[in-house]
Amino acid sequence: MADKNVQRLPAEELYQKELDALISAETDTIPTGWRMSPRSVLTYLTGNVKVKGVDITPKYMGNRRLVEIAIATLVTDRALLLIGEPGTAKSWLSEHLTAAVNGDSTKVVQGTAGTTEEHIRYSWNYAMLIAKGPCPEAMVKSPVYRAMETGSIARVEEISRCASEVQDALISILSEKRLSVPELGLEVPAAKGFSVIATANTRDKGVNDMSAALKRRFNIVVLPTPSDMETELDIVRTRVAQLSNGLDLNARQPDEDTVEKVVTIFRELRGGATLDGKQKLKTTSGVLSTAEAISLLANSMALAGSFGDGRVSDGDLAAALQGAVVKDEENDKVTWKEYLENVMKKRGHEWLPLYRACRELNG
Amino acid sequence: MGTPILFGVRHLSPAAAYHLRRALDAAQPELVLVEGPSDLNDQMKWLCHPDTQFPAAIMAYTKEAPVRTILWPFAIYSPEAQAILWANEHKVECRFMDLPSSVFLGMRPGSGEATAGPVVDGEAVNDGPDDHEEPAQTMESIYRRLETLTDEDHDTFWERTFEQIEGGPDFHQANNTFGRQLRTASVDDKRHMAETIVREAHMKRVMQQAVDSGIPEEKIFCVCGSFHVAGLEENQPMTDEEEKALPRADCCATLMPYSYYRLSSRSGYGAGNKAPAYFELLWDALNRGGPGETAYLYLTRLAAAHRKAGNLTSSAEVIEAVRLADTLAAMRGSKYPTLSDLRDASVTTMGHGSFSELALAAADTEIGKKIGFLPEGVARTSVQEDFYRQLKELRLEKFRTAELQRLDLDLREKLNVKSEQAALGDLRRSFFLHRLRVLGVHFANLLPSRQDGVNWGEYWELRWTPEAEIEIVESALMGETIEGAAAFALKERADNSGSIAEAAAIFQDAFLCGMPAAAAHALSVLQGLSVDSAAISEVAETASRLSLVVRYGDLRRFDPAPVIPLIKQLYLRSCLTLTDACVCDAKAAPEVTRAMDQLNALQLNHDFLEEARWLDLLTGISDRDDLNTRCSGFAMAILLERGKADEALLSREVARRLSPGVPADLGAGWFEGLAGKNRYALIARLSLWRQLDDYLSGLDDETFRRALVFLRRAFADFSPSEKNDIAENLGEIWGVSPQQTAEVLMNDITETEQTVLDSLDEFDFDDI
Repeated sequence: MADKNVQRLPAEELYQKELDALISAETDTIPTGWRMSPRSVLTYLTGNVKVKGVDITPKYMGNRRLVEIAIATLVTDRALLLIGEPGTAKSWLSEHLTAAVNGDSTKVVQGTAGTTEEHIRYSWNYAMLIAKGPCPEAMVKSPVYRAMETGSIARVEEISRCASEVQDALISILSEKRLSVPELGLEVPAAKGFSVIATANTRDKGVNDMSAALKRRFNIVVLPTPSDMETELDIVRTRVAQLSNGLDLNARQPDEDTVEKVVTIFRELRGGATLDGKQKLKTTSGVLSTAEAISLLANSMALAGSFGDGRVSDGDLAAALQGAVVKDEENDKVTWKEYLENVMKKRGHEWLPLYRACRELNG
Repeated sequence: MGTPILFGVRHLSPAAAYHLRRALDAAQPELVLVEGPSDLNDQMKWLCHPDTQFPAAIMAYTKEAPVRTILWPFAIYSPEAQAILWANEHKVECRFMDLPSSVFLGMRPGSGEATAGPVVDGEAVNDGPDDHEEPAQTMESIYRRLETLTDEDHDTFWERTFEQIEGGPDFHQANNTFGRQLRTASVDDKRHMAETIVREAHMKRVMQQAVDSGIPEEKIFCVCGSFHVAGLEENQPMTDEEEKALPRADCCATLMPYSYYRLSSRSGYGAGNKAPAYFELLWDALNRGGPGETAYLYLTRLAAAHRKAGNLTSSAEVIEAVRLADTLAAMRGSKYPTLSDLRDASVTTMGHGSFSELALAAADTEIGKKIGFLPEGVARTSVQEDFYRQLKELRLEKFRTAELQRLDLDLREKLNVKSEQAALGDLRRSFFLHRLRVLGVHFANLLPSRQDGVNWGEYWELRWTPEAEIEIVESALMGETIEGAAAFALKERADNSGSIAEAAAIFQDAFLCGMPAAAAHALSVLQGLSVDSAAISEVAETASRLSLVVRYGDLRRFDPAPVIPLIKQLYLRSCLTLTDACVCDAKAAPEVTRAMDQLNALQLNHDFLEEARWLDLLTGISDRDDLNTRCSGFAMAILLERGKADEALLSREVARRLSPGVPADLGAGWFEGLAGKNRYALIARLSLWRQLDDYLSGLDDETFRRALVFLRRAFADFSPSEKNDIAENLGEIWGVSPQQTAEVLMNDITETEQTVLDSLDEFDFDDI
């Protein structure tokens, strides 16, 4: 098995115990190419149950129905497109879906401005190509190619950041379910179970808009930001705990109060109003997603662990908040100051130390 | 010796309706008993009429005000409706067996709510608990618990669990079991429990009566809410004495068309029917080939509606939606997709992940615009009868839809048509719609006129709703016909009116309704009230309302003769009191000048009002110095407009009013009054502006400040182009040509100018 010293294990290795328990407890029919039934995939993702003595942790918190739709889409061998604001667990969900369905979440194409058609199809090992001419050994298969051969699921991250010709390369693969290699005179048909999970960012709308033809080949699921405070608190708490175990942060878990404060600040600035809805606020240029709240807390734990007494102090938190909120010096700084003075200052003594620490950083 | 067959149903459940018919076929009963008001059996035959189109409702209402109503709505897929229809088709006797409507209305006194929803549904009798002690386990809390357990809303739970049962006997048993367990598990508040027991005892009594009349028990077939099954098995029938002791309200009943929209928004929790059009699809599917058909029906219809709304939807997307919905259903462990599966699937494939894209099409497919229809001759109130007769006669039937439609009326007589009826068609429509408006029936809404002073055009928005129908029925207490009821309503309002303005408004309503008798009554009330003293503004307002009737009366075929003496009377009264009214402060002055304007128009419009009196009066007001100067100025303006004051008089007055020594507020106030009317004539008179200029330059700084406030107000409602004209006038006086001005303005601002301008920014009118 993989070396435990890697920075980040893929989902299927991190949660291997849970996956094994679910597979061994399987009673429903399993679709071709899958490792477990759709219902077990759902259990794996929503968690909060014990299967054969193993606690299944929840991976996606929030609307269970959306997860159902995502899984059902994969059952009908349609491609799945997850859309949402940054930090709404799109990639997270896609990774865990593939981990549960195939036990392999590593067939990933990362969409960037530099992604080319070869990343979707195949390229060549040029040394071998020159030495031997076109032959199967000289071919470098793309993750999508490998997924087609094995009948598993390939992931395309940030699809809307790819140039449109790269996106178009997916169309023929998704509609014909074949890939041709004219150099070798080959037609590779997709094995049963092949599918694609793509993610796209709503903030990137218009960068490389997806064509209608491509959109039509996907079932689209929109992932929302957590609908209520409780859900978001839950997500942040769980993820921070998991992260700190993986990163050896040497700091204590931030207490309940701290998490709540961070989530409150994030939700208020994101929503443009205080939680009770009584006061309107300016919003920041950043998204202030749940994922950022998680990394913010991890960040302040790192600060506390390395330079402090291991307890997340208000000073650590203030520094981390400053970095997360003020992304664009001019506007965000004003927004943040206004928030400090108009909202945080008036919240009473529990908030006072944090307010003072933030205040210090902003002069 | 058998027992009666008790078939528990959920109200408004297509599967229950479908299996009920099979069960009836199998049982071949001699008597069918249906949960419904037992005093209204005669309404059944109309529900079975071949021309009747569901949804329809039986409505009972109290005969005294305030009217309380209670409704029993039926859709085509209601098990009750199907039981009644089955009995009619097979010539089997059918009766209602629940408490009479009079008792229902009697038991819930003074609720004041327009519709007593509870009987809409026997299972969910929860409509706002009257008692404050809420027990822990109400029916509602059990539904909620079911929702948390299944993670689906109750409608979906019901659909997945019961609607999809395919065997008739299975359904019967499942439903009865569900009702029974619900009964054991729930404890409603005392009032509801008591009501349930009374109702069940009555149902049992009706069953007993049938047995007594010689029908074998096993040949009796009861259709009731599944919740009541256990109660009917255990409880004792109501005795004669108990029956006599029930509270009763004096009431009538009628049949009315219903709409799917109302069905979707009004139904009680638990027996909900949020998607009536979808349920009708379910019903169709059951009769066509089974519940499996529903997905195809729903998705194709949704796609069609979505296309109609201007969107692109390919068949491929519909096919994908069917597949996805099937998979979703399988993941939830049901055989066929439910509405929530279908909707989620269509959002994912057709709606690009967001419901808002599909919202319009979904509303159309799930709720629908269907409204019911009842054939002519149905036992309904005479007012309803009259309403429908007039709709037909006035060709307004196409407006009886759930959609909002525009109707533009031209009240003028059409000369190119043959019959008188057709020539005045729009006028009669207007009368009819105004009468409904007076009755408070929200069928037609009068839109503001698009063009001022066009009196022959009227613009309406029409939409039929069950609420409007209820309002019509409610007006039955006031008369037998729409006209009669409107007359009664107007008379009642007139008798209660306390001011002449109120009475005049009623008179105008009567006039718009084309009801001379009611108008005459309002007029007499008005006359009576006009003896009492009233503010000048009110008198003027009333007189001008009446004036409208005299001037445009013939457009509406109204004889204005009786109104003329009253106008004369009001005119005289105003002339006598106007001078006194002009002694007022600056706050009241605008009202007085408005009244003056109205009276002026009144006098101009009617020759029968003495002109000399009016002019003398104005001259007097204009000349006097002890009245509010604004009123004096306004009187001057009127005289000027009517050509009764010449240039010399004007210039003399201006000189007098705007002379140094006259307090600034008085002078400027006068000018404000003068500028209140007839502005172009003022702007054209250069001499006036010269005088104003002289006056202003003669003021010292302190008085100038005071004058500024009034002048600023006087010019406030001049339009930009008028202000521009004045500026040009002043330019002329000062000897500055527009070109020069423009040249100066185009130059860059110098520093000294900037400081002057900046200091003006801080000028605050409130400081003065």
